[in-house]
Amino acid sequence: MGRPIVLRLINLRKTFGGLTAVDDLSLRVERGEVFGLLGPNGAGKSTTLSMCLGLIAPDSGRVELEGIGSPTEGHVRGHLGLAPQSLAIYDGLTGEENLAFFGRLYGLRGAELRRRIGAMLELVGLAPRAADRAGTYSGGMKRRLNLAAAMMHEPPLLLLDEPTAGVDPQSRNNILDTVRSLAERGHTVIYTTHYMEEAQRLCDRVGIIDKGRLLCVGGVREVVQEHGGRTVVHIERGDSASRVETDEPLREIERALAPAPDAGGVAVTGVRIDRPDLESVFLNLTGRRLRD
Amino acid sequence: MPSEPSTSILGPVFAIAWTDLRLLVRDRVAAFFTFVFPVIFATFFGMIYSGVGERGQATIGVVRLEDTPAAQALAADLHTLGQFTARDFADPADGAAALRRGQVVAVVTIPQGFSGGLDDLFASGKGPVVRVDFDPSRRAEAGLLEGRLTELSYRVLARGFSDRERVKAQVRRAREGLASAKELDPARRLMIETILTAAEGMAAGPAPKGGAGGNADPLANFRPMVLDLHEMRPALAGPTNAYQLSLPQGIVWGLMGCVTAFVATFAHDRSRGTLVRLLASPARRWQLVAGKALAGLVSCLIVQWLLIAIFVAVFGVAIRDPLLLVVATVCSAAAFVGVMMTLATIGGSAEGSAGFGRAVILVLAMIGGGTIPVFFMPRFLQTLSAFSPFTWSVRAIDLAVWREAGAQDVVLPLAVLLCIGVGGVGLGVLLVRRLRSSH
Repeated sequence: MGRPIVLRLINLRKTFGGLTAVDDLSLRVERGEVFGLLGPNGAGKSTTLSMCLGLIAPDSGRVELEGIGSPTEGHVRGHLGLAPQSLAIYDGLTGEENLAFFGRLYGLRGAELRRRIGAMLELVGLAPRAADRAGTYSGGMKRRLNLAAAMMHEPPLLLLDEPTAGVDPQSRNNILDTVRSLAERGHTVIYTTHYMEEAQRLCDRVGIIDKGRLLCVGGVREVVQEHGGRTVVHIERGDSASRVETDEPLREIERALAPAPDAGGVAVTGVRIDRPDLESVFLNLTGRRLRD
Repeated sequence: MPSEPSTSILGPVFAIAWTDLRLLVRDRVAAFFTFVFPVIFATFFGMIYSGVGERGQATIGVVRLEDTPAAQALAADLHTLGQFTARDFADPADGAAALRRGQVVAVVTIPQGFSGGLDDLFASGKGPVVRVDFDPSRRAEAGLLEGRLTELSYRVLARGFSDRERVKAQVRRAREGLASAKELDPARRLMIETILTAAEGMAAGPAPKGGAGGNADPLANFRPMVLDLHEMRPALAGPTNAYQLSLPQGIVWGLMGCVTAFVATFAHDRSRGTLVRLLASPARRWQLVAGKALAGLVSCLIVQWLLIAIFVAVFGVAIRDPLLLVVATVCSAAAFVGVMMTLATIGGSAEGSAGFGRAVILVLAMIGGGTIPVFFMPRFLQTLSAFSPFTWSVRAIDLAVWREAGAQDVVLPLAVLLCIGVGGVGLGVLLVRRLRSSH
């Protein structure tokens, strides 16, 4: 028996002028999972997130927070948290003041507000710089503060739009650990990113969309098995190299290492195995053509 | 456990307003152009309008209704008072008109019979009456003038003693009065006779007998010249202080600073993602707009009242109608909040909105009396200025500070300002709804 469903997107469709941004998209997100919403630029991820947040209304279809209602209603939005791709913090305020402001928007007051501020600052590693203005923070610190602001009211559903864009490896690691710990505590996270290795490490399930359509959805392992293609074995013999697609890479290597008349007496000098991963799934499904 | 969303209606409004105000104060450039630059600007223009060098001396008017040597001498004395410059008026009505226009701080009228009053000095114990009309808002200058005139009265008296025949006649009349004062205390009678004898001696003539008229003590309240003080409130057909002209301009620049700063803040919200986060919060659209509007309103009021306080305290600007000034500043603030909300949300992009807003505000300020007062402008610009909220703001503040007008003249600018405010905020709410589809 699966986990309870938190969010349902049902036949969503949204057009801007003649452009179809989201086309008949249906999706469900389960409680406590990190769901990766992946796609190239202009695929419809941001529009989908905006509809999930109630910022824009779909032309048809609907968004439902299970048992709560539609996010177009203010009280429903109180159950959502957003860390936008653009840094949604005020450089002129300190880290603490930023969190206090966003906490107050969600009705937090007094001791509870102070408790949450302290907890969030600790969680994202900004407690020592709490009294400094955000304008003096590094890019990574701002990203962490951006994430902390989204979590201030401890929303059951958190939408993170490329939360690691442009940050150093240390901050990225902190953010990924934070997201993982949130999921372990029962929060549901919808996560968009262009970093496939990040999605592979973090997400329980992913959905890949392009041109507004959902191309695939499922657990990372399933998706890779289904759409990642075959394993590629690269065999080098001196200056020449060969590439073999196979479902049995070890057997292919054994065959390469065994003396064979067709090898021409040239010994194998190198072997590399490229297993299918989320990136290969992504490229297989969305193509290798540049997207601007 | 997730928190329940806020049920407070005003909580998000105050949170947004407080944050925006804090951001404004912490942005040094915005704070300078909002709070400091308007003071510098208005001071600069006030100095230009007033002619800096003339500020040191107040001007009094002199009306001489008698052509005697005594009256001429007093008029001449009035021209040599150190702290005042004097301007002669042949007609009392001209003097009064100048006072009402604020061109002079007081008018001294030397009446018909001035010389005769001097002749009865010893007989009546009181010298001639000199009328002084003064502007009650310039009470300090009037007090100084009164002191200088009292000083002058003794100079008049001394001058009287240089005319021996006149002194003899005065002493003779005084002795006649003294003789008729039957109930006068003998010791006091002796003292008065001693003074009169001394006066006779000064006139080098025989020492006649005489006394003060009636039963009164002729030395009681002895005053060589009586000052008859009258308040005359200026009609304020024009400003009485050049800084009254530049104050509304300073306010215009202060409001400009507020509007541009808040439009920039809103543009920042749009470009940085904070607006998306605000829109994604449980706060309703109207709460978001109300929070921004409240911050704008408070900052516009602070700017205006700060400028007014500085101009009253430092430049002595008199406020004709303080209550109207409060109403005018509130209406002005409301109007500029409306302008602010419209400009902040009207642009397709954050950067476009900020740039467009600055350009519009600058043009509106220029045609609305931000650089030179509207009544100095050519007629076509004066007509055009009706489309600028700055015009109505300046007009409302002018009415409160120095311009006298009827009720209908007061109501119109206030009504226009309120309409701009309500319309602008309403438009802002509609445009914010549109913004969410641009995300």
